[in-house]
Amino acid sequence: MYDVVVIGQGLSGMLSAIWAKEHGYRTALVATGSGKIMQSTGVLDLIPGADGGLKEWSELYQLAAIEQSQLTGAMEQFKILTKRLGYPYKGDIEHLVPIVMGSGHIKETALYPETISPIKEHGQVVIVGFDEVIDFQPAYIKGNLQKARPQLSIATIEISLGKQSQRTMTQLDAARLLDKKENLDYCIKQIKQQMTVREISQPDLFIFPASLGVENWKYTLEQFTKELGAIVTEAPGMPPNTTAIRLHERLKKEAVKLGVRFYVDTTVVGCKMDRAGIESLTIKTSNHTTDISGKQFILATGGILGGGLEVTSDGVKETALELDADENGNIIHCPENLYPVGASRGFSVTHNGITGGVYSVLSSHEMVDKLHQQAIIGGIRSA
Amino acid sequence: MLELKLDELTFDKCLKCNACVSSCPVANTTLEFGGPKHLGPELKRLMNNQGIIDDKRIEFCTLCGSCDMSCPENVHVTTLTAFAKAIHSDKSGTKFRDFVLSNAEWVGKLASAFAPVTNFAMGMKPVRKVMEIVMDIPAERQFPKYRFHNFNRVYKKKTASTERKVAYFAGCYATFNAPEVAMSFIKVMEHNGIEVVKPDQKCCGVPMFANGQMKQGLKNANHNITSFLEYTRQGYDVVLTCTSCTLAFKKEYVSFLNTEEAKELASHVYDADEYLRLLKESGELNMNFAPMKVRAGYYAPCHMKAQGIGNPAMDILELIPGYEIQDVGAGCCGQCGTFGFKTEKYDVSMAIGRPMAEAVKEVDADYTVTECGMCKNQLDQLTDKTVKHPMQIVAESYERAKVLS
Repeated sequence: MYDVVVIGQGLSGMLSAIWAKEHGYRTALVATGSGKIMQSTGVLDLIPGADGGLKEWSELYQLAAIEQSQLTGAMEQFKILTKRLGYPYKGDIEHLVPIVMGSGHIKETALYPETISPIKEHGQVVIVGFDEVIDFQPAYIKGNLQKARPQLSIATIEISLGKQSQRTMTQLDAARLLDKKENLDYCIKQIKQQMTVREISQPDLFIFPASLGVENWKYTLEQFTKELGAIVTEAPGMPPNTTAIRLHERLKKEAVKLGVRFYVDTTVVGCKMDRAGIESLTIKTSNHTTDISGKQFILATGGILGGGLEVTSDGVKETALELDADENGNIIHCPENLYPVGASRGFSVTHNGITGGVYSVLSSHEMVDKLHQQAIIGGIRSA
Repeated sequence: MLELKLDELTFDKCLKCNACVSSCPVANTTLEFGGPKHLGPELKRLMNNQGIIDDKRIEFCTLCGSCDMSCPENVHVTTLTAFAKAIHSDKSGTKFRDFVLSNAEWVGKLASAFAPVTNFAMGMKPVRKVMEIVMDIPAERQFPKYRFHNFNRVYKKKTASTERKVAYFAGCYATFNAPEVAMSFIKVMEHNGIEVVKPDQKCCGVPMFANGQMKQGLKNANHNITSFLEYTRQGYDVVLTCTSCTLAFKKEYVSFLNTEEAKELASHVYDADEYLRLLKESGELNMNFAPMKVRAGYYAPCHMKAQGIGNPAMDILELIPGYEIQDVGAGCCGQCGTFGFKTEKYDVSMAIGRPMAEAVKEVDADYTVTECGMCKNQLDQLTDKTVKHPMQIVAESYERAKVLS
């Protein structure tokens, strides 16, 4: 029934679905939950949790076969897409930049949204926290940041969002409040007051939690930058990070508007095979078990963290289609019409359990391209 | 006290990842709501250790199911919040207004019996002002119209003799407010050589679950299960045109009751468009559609998305030659059944609905298509586009094709 069926709606799944649909394929996406973008930082690293440039990355991920043009093409496509969605990403994979995280630690990243700015070696910074958001503690962040950047002069400010809440507020709650001008103005006023009262000298950079607006992030960022007279950055930390939510919501809306069919709250519990490969997926919804047939399938269920792979006493299991996997999580005898992307490609592409956003972008792009080529060849053959 | 019969282990899988809170339309709009994570798995965990807790904040849950859809661990959050609602109304009592709203069926029976008067009165400002004061139903909130010639009066067929046979559950909205939707569905089935019967049925229970009237809701559920099983056991398929009723038949009856009968019935239940798609896949669908030159926008109700069936309405409408349809890509409408009729929820309801109205405006289609009567109510209030049920469009295309041939 579908040309392409994608399993999983993390970054790999969502990008694969969008790009497959853009090629004109009837595309479906099957997913259990909302996908792991929600739990991410929204910045795209090369090697998660470790430093290392392009060279180390290609060795670690065994990317020797990938051509430079493919890599550049994938990154370009991602940037074009996020720009169109009103949430542009900047940066490039050849020149990683250091950014500060919600813990105060520094990591190098490749692609990041405009709400994030790199951190310098010296100068004056001010970390701003909100009383209501307990996941972001300026004093604690300062301690860690100072260790990483001894030459920085760091001050901390804590302000109130001025709203009562019936639940523990997250960075996302703060971001939704800052979408509204009156809350934004109230925060700016408090920062200015504290700067004056405590005689904090004008900094080069303000560090905020990942909270600078959701829908109106652009205006929020501009206002803070203008009113505070310095560069402003978000430091993503404990999820939900607004940096990631913005990306997730926009990708999802785009996929839906393009006409990708979402089968959410479903679990893939196996597949039916024929001589050409996979014929259909068996999916379980609340109380039905049905089949979704397709010509080609993209496996974007993630690795161990995403739930696509499971380490058991009998070895590594691929959970969705129940295909045999080797000790490295690679599918043995991968069906011809199945295209694993991102962390579904086994442990060789995961580090600390995750793939790093850049690899997700690259492999989704590469697989959709490959699938497209296959479809063309297949079309010629069957003509 | 109400016992939760679901597999107790299900909520233990909650990792507190916050995906549900980030996806909750109410939590994203107001800080007054405790959120699905806290009032679902966390509250349940606490209650298991400490005894029953009545948490007032649960009133803000609309049971839209966005949390269930977002959960990467497959936790049935709405099952937990529905029971938290039941506990709340057991302990704190039910407002008269909520009791009335939860009884959509007898309101429908009464209102449609005096339909011209009801509709007239509901349109009068002084009447609405009194309703606001006495009932806490906001005067600005538009109401759907009631029909004297309701579906119960016009359709009574109880047996079918065609090869495929459909047992139709109309639901309160199509019965009392939009019999044209029910009649369109019957026409569509006729064009496919399928006879439709209307078994004995009561309100699906969704408005009751949403207002904490769990006992009454489950009573209705058991009534419907018994009534419809009689048909499925004779080879009938159960088809519905309201996505909320469909979700109740497919999911909530099973989750709340956890009985073999509920499970048996659920396996025979289809959304109307899903059923047509099934006919198409098995090569049985009448493909004689008259072309229609239309550019429509589709609004997906939460309870359609929650069924995990893709987008059958668009799949079917796209079969009509010349018919263009695009999903407007909107989230929850904010009406959420009875939620949007409550004064203290009205601002939240409107705030949730605004992005939907924006999305409809952005696509700027000829009209909006949606299956849900309550979503239509909000679309009617917040947008200037006509709203149609997919069955009305399919019926029209079939009818025109018949005239042409």
